[in-house]
Amino acid sequence: MEKILRLDFIENKDLRIVVIVIFGILAFATLLFFVVGKLKPQANLAELKARTKSWWIMAALVLGATLINSTISYVAIALLSFVAFRELYSALGFRESDRRAIFWAYVSIPIQYYLAYIGWYGAFIIFIPIVMFLFLPLRMVLKGNTNGIIKSMSSLQWILMLTVFGLSHMAYLLSLPDIAGFSSGGRGLLLFLVFLTEINDVMQFTWGKLLGKHKIIPKVSPNKTWEGFVGGIISTTIIGYFLGFLTPLTDVQVVFVSFTIAVSGFFGDIVMSSVKRDIGVKDMGTSIPGHGGILDRIDSLAYTAPAFFHLIYYIAY
Amino acid sequence: MKKLVLQFIYGVVVKAFLRIIVGVKFDNGKFLLNEKQFIIIANHNSHLDTMTIMASLPRQLIHKVRPVAAADHFGKTKFKEKLSNYFVNTLLIQRKRDKENPANDPIHKMVDALDKGFSLILFPEGTRGEPEVQQPLKPGVALVLLQRPEVKYVPAYMKGMGKAMPKEDSLIVPFNCQLVYGTPQIISHADVTPILEKMQHDFNALQEKLR
Repeated sequence: MEKILRLDFIENKDLRIVVIVIFGILAFATLLFFVVGKLKPQANLAELKARTKSWWIMAALVLGATLINSTISYVAIALLSFVAFRELYSALGFRESDRRAIFWAYVSIPIQYYLAYIGWYGAFIIFIPIVMFLFLPLRMVLKGNTNGIIKSMSSLQWILMLTVFGLSHMAYLLSLPDIAGFSSGGRGLLLFLVFLTEINDVMQFTWGKLLGKHKIIPKVSPNKTWEGFVGGIISTTIIGYFLGFLTPLTDVQVVFVSFTIAVSGFFGDIVMSSVKRDIGVKDMGTSIPGHGGILDRIDSLAYTAPAFFHLIYYIAY
Repeated sequence: MKKLVLQFIYGVVVKAFLRIIVGVKFDNGKFLLNEKQFIIIANHNSHLDTMTIMASLPRQLIHKVRPVAAADHFGKTKFKEKLSNYFVNTLLIQRKRDKENPANDPIHKMVDALDKGFSLILFPEGTRGEPEVQQPLKPGVALVLLQRPEVKYVPAYMKGMGKAMPKEDSLIVPFNCQLVYGTPQIISHADVTPILEKMQHDFNALQEKLR
């Protein structure tokens, strides 16, 4: 039983603080929208309320999966990759003759996460961008249909990059070796990354709504403004500084890493927006009420996870 | 026993597989509990179609609903017939009518199953055909409904199944699919052609809804 349920996060002060902070923020937001809704019944809060409700569920799922048992965390993140891959693949319109290659791309997901699980860094880092990127086009070529093959090859590789390779760095955080004097370990790093990425999304959204005037990249994402971008970066960097106890970094390093997460999160967001714009949809799906599909929520993570991982790996390991 | 097996297979195993692995988004089938008897008519693109509709049914109905399937395909060998009879609860029919021998006649067999209290799942296109392309509806369903006009038909439309598992390919490649139900209704014509036109119209409306 002790092996399945690792409840030591209740004793681990650092992790406990984060759990309390996250649920505190959610409780505050829920209360705020409830009160505002009562005071100003004409305000349209339905979307914000739906979003907050979904945040509760997502927070509970993420915290449950990261804190309770680390083997479950690997499976959970792999499943997230799988669903995101399926969502993007279904939206992009492949040829019938690509099915065999797509199948092997699906097979690569558990392999990639297994490599993260056993902590084989060399194989983990080349498996998708070298092995799969060379193998999958070959599998399409063997099928013999060359009509539109370039589009299929490159789309498939880009889907794997965004939904599997990027996200799998979250899982590898859990396999990093212990550092003396740093108690929260990989789980702390994972929480730091996910929390900061999502809070960055929320902050950019909030600052954009409050002060947004000057559009930053109107052709791709009309709602993104310079005010939201800068406000988001500043708030995220400050919040990151205060969450530094989850990482083994010095104060200056934490500020730099948080800044990188904020900027790369924005990049991930607009890259996914451009993909959506190209295929002509606003959201990737309807699986999370108020947020769209899974991809609409983890688009930033596809960029922040590798950026954060490699910074940490370079600085501290 | 068979009832429990079917409920477990479709209500739990197949449903979880379709939802988590294949990526099927189900419509709620609860409303079917209000109908005494019905014929679900659906577009046909994949072997997954039958599984999806069966899994979407409320659990207490699963054993009372029989998918209609072609005997030449599913009854090829005695073993295959037994298998599909037990695990899919199919009603096997031959594709051609046989008026001299009512025991073999597909329309007679379907009406007979209705009289025994079963509901049916029918794919009026007859065959799965090219993935995601609709084919003209065959008159069988209309002939059955004309004989038992009190039975309601329920249009169902599925999108993406032919991408997840097309004809001529037994490899399932997960693809986000969706199933929607229309409202149950009684036929309002006494002729085959207008009935089929109405059904085609129902299919088109559901297809529009999924767009």
